[in-house]
Amino acid sequence: MFNWLIEQALGHLPVWLWPAVAGAGTAVYFLAHLLSNFPNVKPYAIFIKPAAFLTIILGVFMYGGAGVTEILQAQIKEQEAKIAVAQQASSDANTAVQTKIVTHTKVIHDTQIVYQEKIKEVEKKIDADCKIDPEAISILNGAAKNPLGATK
Amino acid sequence: MKKLLLVCAIFALAGCANTMTAKVTMTWPDTPPDLKTACPDLAPVDPDTTKLSDALNVITANYSQYYLCKDKVDNWLDWYNNQQKIYNSVK
Repeated sequence: MFNWLIEQALGHLPVWLWPAVAGAGTAVYFLAHLLSNFPNVKPYAIFIKPAAFLTIILGVFMYGGAGVTEILQAQIKEQEAKIAVAQQASSDANTAVQTKIVTHTKVIHDTQIVYQEKIKEVEKKIDADCKIDPEAISILNGAAKNPLGATK
Repeated sequence: MKKLLLVCAIFALAGCANTMTAKVTMTWPDTPPDLKTACPDLAPVDPDTTKLSDALNVITANYSQYYLCKDKVDNWLDWYNNQQKIYNSVK
């Protein structure tokens, strides 16, 4: 949560702010250096100098961090673009499989109907010529039974 | 003072260190619904029938059932291999 808050706060600051902070720190540092020549303000300069120095460090550090963030964001954008292309390809592959299934199912069903029609045509003839013994049907059904049990 | 300056400069430049990599991953797609159903068992012939045509009708239906099931398995493999190839391309 804390990290998220920090990211949100820093993420919305413009990148130019950090070199500006470092620049301002440098200016203040040199100004403090000049002011240290005046006895009246010398005691303040002693405190201003380290503060300015820390400001320079903070500015440079954050500018480096902002650069890294920019690189990462570019990588994220590139990856997101790749994923969008891949997801479209994935969706197309799904549609292609669905279409293939529908077409193949129709072909298989139509073929079954053709053969069942052929059986109908010769039904009387084959039934008159051949009577099946119940034993044969029992064997056939036994062979058709799933040896691993019923399908779930 | 110089050493302190050097340490501070190193610390400041540490902000530029880029050891992280952006990781955005793709979600694995849903299997098409037609491939999610199991293949049914083969249909048995009516044990009381003596007609060859009845047996042939059931056998023909079972052959169709087999080809539907084979097609489902083939398509499932095809779908899986394609999706894996796509998924690996953005990994």
